[in-house]
Amino acid sequence: MLHIEKVAAAYGDVQALWDVSLDVQVNEIVVLIGPNGAGKTTLMRTIAGLHRPRSGRILFEGTALHTVAAHQIVERGIILVPEGRRLFEGMTVLENLQLGAYTRRAKQQRDKTLRHVLDIFPLLAERRHDRASSLSGGQQQMLAIGRALMGLPRLLMLDEPSLGLAPLIVRHIFEIVKSIKEEGVTVLLVEQNARRALELAHRAYILEQGRIVGTGSGSDLLHNDEVREAYLGYAPVTARTLT
Amino acid sequence: MMRRIVMRRIGMRDVAMTSPAALTRSRAWRGPVLMAGVIALAALVPVLIDKQDTLNLLFLICLHITLGQSWNILAGFAGQTSLGHAAFFGIGALVTRTLWLNGMFFPVAFLLSGLAAVAFAMLIGVPTFRLRGAYFAIGTLGIAEVLRITVSQNLPLISTMPAAEIAAYNLTLRYYVALALALTTIGAAALLLRSSWSLGILAVREDEEAAQATGVNVLGHKLLALFISSFFAGLAGGLFAFQQISYYPSAAFSPVWTFDALLITFIGGLGTIGGPVLGAIFFILVRQRLAVTLVEVHQIVFGILFILIVLVFPGGLMGAWDRLRPRAIAEALRSRRQLHKS
Amino acid sequence: MAQNIVYGLFVGGIYGIAAVGLALAFGVMNVLNIAHGELLMFGGYISFWLFSLLGIDPFVSLIICIPALFLIGLLLDRLVYRHVARLRGEAKIKNSLLISFGLVLILQNVAIRLFTADERTTQVSYIGQGINLFGIALPYTRLMGLVIALVTILALHLFLQRTDSGKAIRATAEDWEAAELSGINVPRVYMLTFALGAALAGIAGTLVSVTSSVAPSIGLDWTLKALIVVVLAGTGSIIGAFPAGLLLGLVEALSSIFISASYREVVGLVIFLLVLLIRPQGLFGSREAA
Ligand SMILES: Nc1ncnc2c1ncn2[C@@H]1O[C@H](COP(=O)(O)OP(=O)(O)OP(=O)(O)O)[C@@H](O)[C@H]1O
Ligand SMILES: [Mg+2]
Repeated sequence: MLHIEKVAAAYGDVQALWDVSLDVQVNEIVVLIGPNGAGKTTLMRTIAGLHRPRSGRILFEGTALHTVAAHQIVERGIILVPEGRRLFEGMTVLENLQLGAYTRRAKQQRDKTLRHVLDIFPLLAERRHDRASSLSGGQQQMLAIGRALMGLPRLLMLDEPSLGLAPLIVRHIFEIVKSIKEEGVTVLLVEQNARRALELAHRAYILEQGRIVGTGSGSDLLHNDEVREAYLGYAPVTARTLT
Repeated sequence: MMRRIVMRRIGMRDVAMTSPAALTRSRAWRGPVLMAGVIALAALVPVLIDKQDTLNLLFLICLHITLGQSWNILAGFAGQTSLGHAAFFGIGALVTRTLWLNGMFFPVAFLLSGLAAVAFAMLIGVPTFRLRGAYFAIGTLGIAEVLRITVSQNLPLISTMPAAEIAAYNLTLRYYVALALALTTIGAAALLLRSSWSLGILAVREDEEAAQATGVNVLGHKLLALFISSFFAGLAGGLFAFQQISYYPSAAFSPVWTFDALLITFIGGLGTIGGPVLGAIFFILVRQRLAVTLVEVHQIVFGILFILIVLVFPGGLMGAWDRLRPRAIAEALRSRRQLHKS
Repeated sequence: MAQNIVYGLFVGGIYGIAAVGLALAFGVMNVLNIAHGELLMFGGYISFWLFSLLGIDPFVSLIICIPALFLIGLLLDRLVYRHVARLRGEAKIKNSLLISFGLVLILQNVAIRLFTADERTTQVSYIGQGINLFGIALPYTRLMGLVIALVTILALHLFLQRTDSGKAIRATAEDWEAAELSGINVPRVYMLTFALGAALAGIAGTLVSVTSSVAPSIGLDWTLKALIVVVLAGTGSIIGAFPAGLLLGLVEALSSIFISASYREVVGLVIFLLVLLIRPQGLFGSREAA
């Protein structure tokens, strides 16, 4: 479905991605993990069209994305829930959701989608006339996901949706991601919360310092020693006794 | 250490930064010799040519070099895009005119124009430098307009030189004052760039936060640039007051002076020593040429040129020269090689 | 005194319309268009010429003037401002200011060539007439001007709040990247926004040509008025610029009573400077909105 081939990206003179290649198949959950500053957000933004790659190709069902404007990428069904949520805070919950269905494709079914999204997030229905800025962190994340769903995504990309949220809410959000997948939406998920993400993932990639350094099925990586040490908080016994 | 960080931030963009280094190269003698030649020629003009028109034109070029260069010191070097330059020019003109026509020895009245502008600049500098970027620009524009309106309300009458002064009017003298002032301003800008402050000033332009973080006294460096800038802008105003037979005092406060300084500097090349010089020559010559036939057209031409420079050609004439030069040299080499072959 | 205050409000309505146009481009696009006063001047000329050549009442000719300025706005965005769209934040504001300075030169001198430097006023037949209410004269031209200003603001408010395009404009103003990620064509929104701002300048210009006069040189003064108002309102606020415009009109009226008529311009500028230095978020704006 999504095919990324040797993508490089940079901010001015500072290169952030080097030869990144990655594939997402239809109706998979693919997880991307990596330390802070690895370039995960950069990769998401590059796919979404907010950032132009220096070189390489990004194909979606065989057609090029890396030359297309971000709003047209949305029209094709690739929707990013950005890092930090990026809600329209001065606008109401309902307006945020309506704006999510701005493309021609999504607008036609806007009311129907809205009902569906409010079913998934009943809390948002209750607060539909409140300003987005008045929501709690967890509710804001739900609104961000809801807004993306309003655009009828075929590939939904989430950039650290659990960031800064309480464990209970994180669990809820992961359940929602799973149910979204079960509705037939393909998911590309960036997470710091590697354990939960890998449990959910069909496949995963590890990005470090702008390069893909490993890939495998979710359960393979969960049981890989290096991954456990680096991302799941298991330090080897010797190291622990030393510190 | 700081030097390295700052140098990296400034990168290759700054022509002024690279020229001192270029001087140490083998053909360094060419620049100074050429410069001395131009200065000598400029000094000899009144002796060689005795057309008042030409002298007047050269006077205007010198005045505008000063005007542009003084704005460039603040906006081009320190990155503070002021739209209030007319205030300094106007204050300079007002002070010199008033003192001089009331009997003060001209050189003293002239010097005081610069100092008065500096005094005013230091007064407004501390509060306005809290504003960043465009806010600084519109804030300074507001200040200059307040001054202009106040002056036009209080001094509505035209100021005319006494008859005796008009009878003894000497354009050559005025031209020499203008030439000396322009050269001094250029010299001051060049000295500033070679001084130990230049790094701090350029760092403030490139990235204020980073400069602050590396320990640069941001406000201090801005004030220093403003000090020098306003001093020469004030003197330019003083020169204007010395040259004009009659004018409305508020005319020296007109935002047109700011706008001309902007045009000159951008056309020539913002942030370079040569920019305002080339810009002023180009500006005055084109204006004079077009003013004869089509009064408004030169402004339209400058407007279009200005937009193009901001959008696609940020280096101005100096940048164009720099970009073309390598190609020109390469071509010259190629043709010479071919000469050898044949 | 009451007469002065009423006149202050009439003038303030025009300030408000002029300022809302400037605030639109600034708030949504980060474009500081100091050629806004020149757009206003062109609006004034359009209504002046339609009246003096074809005899069309200036309040009727708005239906020509508004689309004309809208088109000019579209064109300027395409030709010029589109090219700074890639820049962000401070750099964009500064470059747009510089570019619009070039536009000032062009538009002002084109106007001199086309219309000469003379001052013009649209002299409608009912220019001196009006209602007298408790001893306060209310000329028809001024009353109509205020009504048109109010209707314009109401229409703009409804457009921004109720329509999809209006919501897209507000969303883009808040976060253009999030807007793109919602499928909003941000360059198109910018174009629409700038054109709307120009159309508002056209309305303001028409009102100026009827109630005072237009000349090629009036641009800077009107840009400054609009800037003062935008700063008073707080730079994040679009519709809020309208009440701030009324306020400026009022303050000017009061200052010509209590200080001196010749300093009314200065008073506005001084307030502008104080607000800029002390409360950069504007008199009414909250800190986070700025
Ligand atoms: N706007 C920017 N300008 C310059 N450099 C940037 C910018 N954004 C990110 N970078 C740099 O690019 C690299 C990758 O950053 P990115 O945000 O993509 O990492 P990340 O994996 O998402 O990190 P995190 O886990 O903190 O979200 C980092 O070194 C970062 O410093
Ligand atoms: Mg990130």
